[in-house]
Amino acid sequence: MNIEVQQALENLRSGDPEAVERALESLQSAVYGFGMKVCGNHEDAEDTTQETLLRLARSLKEFPDARALAVWLYKVAKTQCLMSRRKSKFAPAQMLSLEALMPRPEDVAGAPSKPWPITPEEVVLRGEIRDRLEHAVLALPKPYRLVLILRDMEQLNTKEVAEVMEISEETAKMRLHRARVSVRNVLEKYLHTGPRPSPAAAVKGPRKRSALTARRYRRTDG
Amino acid sequence: MADRRCKQIFAALSEFLDGELPVKHCRELEEHLEGCKPCLAYLETLRTTIQACRKYRVHKAPRPSPRVRAALRKAAFRS
Repeated sequence: MNIEVQQALENLRSGDPEAVERALESLQSAVYGFGMKVCGNHEDAEDTTQETLLRLARSLKEFPDARALAVWLYKVAKTQCLMSRRKSKFAPAQMLSLEALMPRPEDVAGAPSKPWPITPEEVVLRGEIRDRLEHAVLALPKPYRLVLILRDMEQLNTKEVAEVMEISEETAKMRLHRARVSVRNVLEKYLHTGPRPSPAAAVKGPRKRSALTARRYRRTDG
Repeated sequence: MADRRCKQIFAALSEFLDGELPVKHCRELEEHLEGCKPCLAYLETLRTTIQACRKYRVHKAPRPSPRVRAALRKAAFRS
């Protein structure tokens, strides 16, 4: 379970005035963050936060512990996101096929057999690649997007993801893998072709630069 | 990822990274990775993707509305 959410719910249930005030801020931040990741826009994220936290106020004492309450909270937030009025402009309604996501032999032949020259920290800190990550997640069909966000961003375990999504653990794992592969492939494409050139750079010839990059990779791999 | 074995490995990479793959299958996967550079590179880039997702944070949340604050305070202090 997301430790921050669970701690905030424990604080909220503690009845201690200072802990309650801290919990209000943490829960607002956590639910809004979840809404932004899933919906991709401020208005839906705010609606999700408001509705979810008002429902939490009505149900706070109905659960045996903070973990059960946290699972319920994510379930409510997920439902609010699914009901969001604004459709994501990125998300297609289709399912993801593993076969289609798998790299083709011709893609692998010219690709570097080495990890990316970038750390996970750089992915989330460098503006353009952070944008790619956000767009890649929002481009996932919602059932896949929700599983990836719950598991990898909110850090729920597989059982909790399955509970929130009301699916089997096997289905959660299947969706998670396809979602991760899909996001990974978007980042891979970006890191291989590089940032989109500015108009001035395009005049100089982006095709030539890509070829140079490809040769450099081949040389490094021997 | 040219052969059938690579396809099988590809399907199991997330479970492997999450430590949810049975031990027997882990050993088979590791043996394959030792001799297959494309699969190993794919695994590492998938790992970087997952770690990036774990580090991703939404920058700024607005403050809770007065209505939400009041409702949660009331619920928290209700006996």
